[in-house]
Amino acid sequence: MKQPRSFWMVGLGAILLAILAPLIAFWPKTAEAKEDPWAGVPIHPTHVDHADIVSGEFASGQDVTRACLQCHEESGEQMIHTTHFTWESRPYNVPWRDEPITIGKANQINNFCIGAQGNESKCMSCHTGYGWSDKRFDFADPANVDCLACHADTSTYAKGEFGNPAPGVDLLAAARSVRAPTRDNCGKCHFDGGGGNGVKHGDLDESLYFPSENLDVHMGGLNFLCTDCHTTRDHTIKGRMVADNYSIDPAEQVACTDCHSGQPHPDERLNLHTDAVACQTCHIPNIAVKDPTKVAWDWSTAGADRGDDHYTYLKIKGSFVYERNYQPTYLWFNGNLSYRYLLGDKIDPDQPTFINQPAGGINDARSKIFPFKLHVAKQPYDTVNRYLLQPRTAGEGGFWSTFDWLSALTLGAQDTGMKFSGQYGFAETWMYWPTTHMVQPKEYSLQCDACHADNGRLDWEELGYPGDPMEWGGR
Amino acid sequence: MKTSIKLLLPGALMVALALGFNTAFARNENRAASAVSPLHPTFALLDSNGANVLESGQAASTMTTCGECHDTEFIVSHAYHADLGLSDYQANRETWNASNGLFGKFDPITYRYLSPAGDERIDLTTPEWLMTYGWRVPGGGPAVNARDGQPLTRLRPDAQNPEASAYNAESGSFEAWDWNRSGVIEMNCFLCHMQTPNNELRVAAIERGAFGWANTATLVGTGIVERSSLGAGGFAWNTDAFDENGELKIEYVQLQDPTNANCAACHGEIHEDPIAPLQLHACDLTQTQTATTGQVISSQRISESGINLSGKANLDHAWDIHAERALKCTDCHYSLNNPAHALDEKAANPDHLTYDPRKLEIGEYLQKPNHNFARGVSAQFGVAPELKSTMRRCEACHDTNKSHAGWLPYNDRHMQVLACESCHIPQMYAPALRAVDWTVIRVDGSARVECRGIQGQDTTTDLVTGYQPVLMQRTDAQTGQTLLAPYNIITTYFWVYEDRQGNLRPVRKADLEAIYLTGKTYAPDIFAAFDANNDGTLSDSELILNDSSKQSLIVNKLAALGLTNVRIHGQAQPYSINHNVVDRGSATRDCAACHNADSRVTEPLLLSAAAPVGVQLTFPPDATVSPTGSVETVGASLYYNPLNQNDKTYLFGHNRIGWIDWFGALLFLGTVIGIGGHGTLRYLSDRKTPTPTARTQAVYMYEVYERFWHWLQTVAILILLLTGLVIHRPDMFGGFSFRYIVFIHNALAALLGLNAVISIFWHVLSGEIQQYIPHPYGFIDQMIAQAKYYIQGIFRHEPHPFHKSRERKFNPLQMITYIGLLGVLLPFQGLTGILMWLVQKIPSIQDWFGGLTILAPLHTLSAWMFAAFVVAHVYLTTTAGHKPLDAIQAMITGWEETETQESREPNAESEKR
Repeated sequence: MKQPRSFWMVGLGAILLAILAPLIAFWPKTAEAKEDPWAGVPIHPTHVDHADIVSGEFASGQDVTRACLQCHEESGEQMIHTTHFTWESRPYNVPWRDEPITIGKANQINNFCIGAQGNESKCMSCHTGYGWSDKRFDFADPANVDCLACHADTSTYAKGEFGNPAPGVDLLAAARSVRAPTRDNCGKCHFDGGGGNGVKHGDLDESLYFPSENLDVHMGGLNFLCTDCHTTRDHTIKGRMVADNYSIDPAEQVACTDCHSGQPHPDERLNLHTDAVACQTCHIPNIAVKDPTKVAWDWSTAGADRGDDHYTYLKIKGSFVYERNYQPTYLWFNGNLSYRYLLGDKIDPDQPTFINQPAGGINDARSKIFPFKLHVAKQPYDTVNRYLLQPRTAGEGGFWSTFDWLSALTLGAQDTGMKFSGQYGFAETWMYWPTTHMVQPKEYSLQCDACHADNGRLDWEELGYPGDPMEWGGR
Repeated sequence: MKTSIKLLLPGALMVALALGFNTAFARNENRAASAVSPLHPTFALLDSNGANVLESGQAASTMTTCGECHDTEFIVSHAYHADLGLSDYQANRETWNASNGLFGKFDPITYRYLSPAGDERIDLTTPEWLMTYGWRVPGGGPAVNARDGQPLTRLRPDAQNPEASAYNAESGSFEAWDWNRSGVIEMNCFLCHMQTPNNELRVAAIERGAFGWANTATLVGTGIVERSSLGAGGFAWNTDAFDENGELKIEYVQLQDPTNANCAACHGEIHEDPIAPLQLHACDLTQTQTATTGQVISSQRISESGINLSGKANLDHAWDIHAERALKCTDCHYSLNNPAHALDEKAANPDHLTYDPRKLEIGEYLQKPNHNFARGVSAQFGVAPELKSTMRRCEACHDTNKSHAGWLPYNDRHMQVLACESCHIPQMYAPALRAVDWTVIRVDGSARVECRGIQGQDTTTDLVTGYQPVLMQRTDAQTGQTLLAPYNIITTYFWVYEDRQGNLRPVRKADLEAIYLTGKTYAPDIFAAFDANNDGTLSDSELILNDSSKQSLIVNKLAALGLTNVRIHGQAQPYSINHNVVDRGSATRDCAACHNADSRVTEPLLLSAAAPVGVQLTFPPDATVSPTGSVETVGASLYYNPLNQNDKTYLFGHNRIGWIDWFGALLFLGTVIGIGGHGTLRYLSDRKTPTPTARTQAVYMYEVYERFWHWLQTVAILILLLTGLVIHRPDMFGGFSFRYIVFIHNALAALLGLNAVISIFWHVLSGEIQQYIPHPYGFIDQMIAQAKYYIQGIFRHEPHPFHKSRERKFNPLQMITYIGLLGVLLPFQGLTGILMWLVQKIPSIQDWFGGLTILAPLHTLSAWMFAAFVVAHVYLTTTAGHKPLDAIQAMITGWEETETQESREPNAESEKR
């Protein structure tokens, strides 16, 4: 019967257990499970200050790169395989070609400045390499990689013709300023793509250097860097532009669900949407919220002396339309393309030619309704051969100096290895740009009636529904 | 898109290109034009004689035009929107109300009164009534038929008949009205079934008495008819809109189901534009529903509206969740025989039949669509009372058990006393009328008006605060269930008089103007009485009948006009609030909002900031809303104070029964003081004569289980007392989460019960139960002996009258106390607690013996007894052993030092055992 003196402590423990166990077991759960999006955001280590490490005289950009590679031995080899350097996708088998093809600025066209071949002097100012002046450029030489474009403080460094450092750049100062890439490094090319602020992307422009929370909740409200989502490993940056690819491995793509749950809303009704509606569709209600973006570009009017205006007409480029804070175009999208115009593809000049066509449809379970910026252009084509032509513009003897389409297109045909009949016209081309940046705070997301009211922003029948799925049922 | 094209146009070269771009951008534009219902066939517009209007040039008649296919007679006779109270019109001597509807029921806000035939003083005749209120009359009913149901056109023009005359201000007399000349307003199908009805011209036609053209005026702007000085009635039909058969071309047939915008024409602010910020005027009676309640039907986020609303930035939810979720007015207020919305009429079926497939076919419905629409139980709209609660209630669409699962305790109980709106319409964000005082009159002929929810008048420049509706008891007309629901209360004051025939009538506005005004300013004697600051104008703050001298001045002046028995009538009319529902994110979720001393449930509502003195406010008799609270005067202001005690509800944390707390607290304090005194005396006597030492021996007094049982019970009771106190007085313990405290309380109560049940088994099986069973013989004497010991013996260090042993642990007083505690108090506390808890599972418990109203105070009372017992029990343990802490130590270790039997004289009583 006699227990040890401290036996009462066992009893105390038992009593506490008897009380706490049911309390913990039946503790009322909060109805909404908390998600932790911060778990997906990388922690940035403080970058080593290179001011005291880098020394020497640098005569050329390649000299700087060689200095970098002395310590960062693998970086050059890593970089030369990335699309930032090759400007070309991996080879794809596409149904309308017998041979595998690659897609990229290196060999294909878009419907902005059309093509880079022969225009390297200007275009390569956004290439992460030095001296790409023609096809003889050595893609295998790691010294040709431009480390400074992404790593130098942009106040110390700029790129000039053929991607070489701009005249007057102090390469030592630039090299000493290196650190992890900031918004400025990415923005230099990606905010100004297509020849100026906000030209190409409706969702990437210079307003993102210092965005307000209402412009971009991640970069403005939470002070994200580009690399917080475009995480990088061995210089391979996550996230692919679908226009320069044909299909994209989801593992290579940035997704909202990298950080957020797929069913993030406290409202069950909203979560029922996530099967068919991309996050972007509701959370990016408008394109080009602050700075306008180019939505139409007519090359056929170029060359006239009628006074230049940045937003409506330039002699070298033709006429434009810019739009600001406007409603995207909505398409089914599974992340891939169903078509990418390849040089030499035949066109019907009476119909719009799709430079790219997002893949997806109501019957494709992987696809969701997704917002796009549609860019419509009129660009030159060979009326005899019935394919689009890439003119030489910035290059020597190109359109921007002669304002003569015939010679510019002849030179362009040489640059791209195409046959040119000498007869040309202008055809309408459409290009779709996915809208995925400038996510607004949830208070500005679309509400039900944006789509489900009469005259809502979705054209249900165009999307393949018999009518509003709220009444007719979903897919 | 259009701007983009505009930008392209400059420059002649661009034209061709622009056409090309157009194709690219035009994809979204095709749809707007095709939004017109493609189903409705084309038809000819006929006049009231059945002739094509193109030939006759007359006004279109909806009854004949639409009547070609639809049964317009059926429609108009099944439409309270048309009837407006005409069918139950019955002039009355005792009250001024002749019906339940707009036609015949006096509205002291708009004030103009439709005079019954035979009245001495006529305010509005029927034609004048139509011209005044016709903007809210969709036609048919009193716009077509006289009060006896005969067509108005059969009435002989007669200056003496208030149905066939109108006042001519120029001649100052009533003149005969020829209904055949003015025409009547047939039920206006176009007003509600067209995309863009021209309401402005319709109202203009009504206001100038061109009733027969009102419906035709509604079509102006569609291209079918235009205003023209050449045509009859000022309108000319456009032949281009008709085909060679005289039928409308299909593109002109813009008929559709009614949209929210159609309803908005008469009912209130409805804003459907997603971009343009919503704006509104405060208390604007052309937006009736908004003016009377602050309800705004819009999907726009409040934060994006153009109203200078306090704290707007954080109000990022829509004005109305149902509007945001793309519900239309007609989704809830549907036609009662619309087969798409047919209610499942289980009640009308035989028991064995859950569904009756014999429904109205869509074709039959389209021929005879019932235009009585499903409606709720609004207090303010009296028309068609038999159709109240024909609408689906919230619960018909939403499953409250599922939507509140996981967080709302007592879901069923909450649903049993609260309408969904009480929590889901926590606040109105637009201003609403508070009081309209027609005992005085502004120089422009309007009443003194108080508007709540705004500090000033202008919603864009003055601060709008919105207001919290008051909760009142609303009775559902179909189920009879009474629930708390939100209301605005609008107080009105107006003069009434009796005429020579004894008819009780509101004083006409014309008579008010006659006594207050001389020309365009106030009469001198009015200035003398009202102009307190002698500035030559009367401001709203001066225009109040706040003393009896002013009142008697008005009475005398009215009497001079020949009005007798003049007095002020004060009326408080509740206005139901059912729209502007918010979802769970913005609804009232904080338990302490209601379960607190300052409970949301009893939040008073300011009725009037400046009321005429000496007027008794009356609530109009109404079967749907019961004003169970009280009207109280604070200074010059009147408040409505809800009193939930009158509603047979007991609100934890809010309601208490005072004497129970007083009694309990005194019991507790008395116990503390009692043992304090006893303890002090013991201490003093011990100092005087120290306790003689005695030989003791260790006895194994308590088994392991006994101790476990005891201490578990101790901890549970202590926590229950503490959490119970927090639940009882959340106003004193605001730092705790009410919800978690309630959970802990319930969980520990369950544990305590389980502990008790197991211990009963143990006590029975181990035989320890014997300890609690008194032997009847001599038990009273033993108790007296023990009591004597506590009162005297203990101070003299007398031995305990009963020796504590393994076999006999309790003295008689202990035994009786524990029997009371464990056998009566604990089960009682448990039972009342379980019943209170069970109310959420079995709500009908509420109807037994008073429900929570009785259970909760009893539970509180016995909790006080427990608290007192705990104190006394702990103290008495110190008397039980040889040394004060012996007994407590024994309950911990099981071993107690008891004085050996031999150490003192054996106790006489114990020998008897």
